[in-house]
Amino acid sequence: MTPSIAIVRIETPHWRCIPLWIPLFLLWIPAMILSPIIFLVLIGLSIAGRVKPWRALSLLWDLLCSLPGTNVRVTSEGTHVSVRIL
Amino acid sequence: MNENRRQILELLAAGKITASEAEQLLAALEPDSTVSAHTFTSAVSGSNGSHDSTAKIHAKYLRVLVEADETMTGMKGPTTVNVRVPMQLLRAGVRLASLIPPQAHDQLDEALNRHGVPLTLSQIKPENLEELIDHLEDLTVDVDGKAGNQTKVRVFCE
Repeated sequence: MTPSIAIVRIETPHWRCIPLWIPLFLLWIPAMILSPIIFLVLIGLSIAGRVKPWRALSLLWDLLCSLPGTNVRVTSEGTHVSVRIL
Repeated sequence: MNENRRQILELLAAGKITASEAEQLLAALEPDSTVSAHTFTSAVSGSNGSHDSTAKIHAKYLRVLVEADETMTGMKGPTTVNVRVPMQLLRAGVRLASLIPPQAHDQLDEALNRHGVPLTLSQIKPENLEELIDHLEDLTVDVDGKAGNQTKVRVFCE
């Protein structure tokens, strides 16, 4: 399953941001429109790197699909930043 | 997207729940993330430290926790970093590393050697890497700073 939403939360001692829900699934729209260009660029890069294009595409897809569940939280000097990918 | 997640998002879109409520509900849908390293290591090890494979929990995430005090970071108050990476992402990353062209291996080996990591990348096969990731599930690393330095690093799977 590809990432559908990223939740970004930033809190400082003076300012608190509401959780930002970033709809990553909407990126499919520009991705679909630009897919021929992206495809050609990936093929070109794969040939330049002497890697099988389909293998490269498959691995990149695997990487994308394994992103959900990633969670990064950093707190420093009273500032709290949290990024979650669902 | 599964049905439960869709329902939560629909409730959010309809304004029936707040963003934070939706976040809590989505978090509750995720696989059990409350299993601590202690629980995990207790499950995989007997009281005498022996390995008990029958009680082994299949780890889904690699957790890295860092707590650094002011003396370490030079910042006011403690600094904490809490990272949870799906094991699947590690696997994908390892497979992606196999795309490194053979002609780059020598340069990477040389650079690794220069930094004190005597590793030959060409000798690492995908099956070895899979095995390595699998064994990460049994990994727990606890590092405590010296007296006066409260820095702690924990790496474990859950």
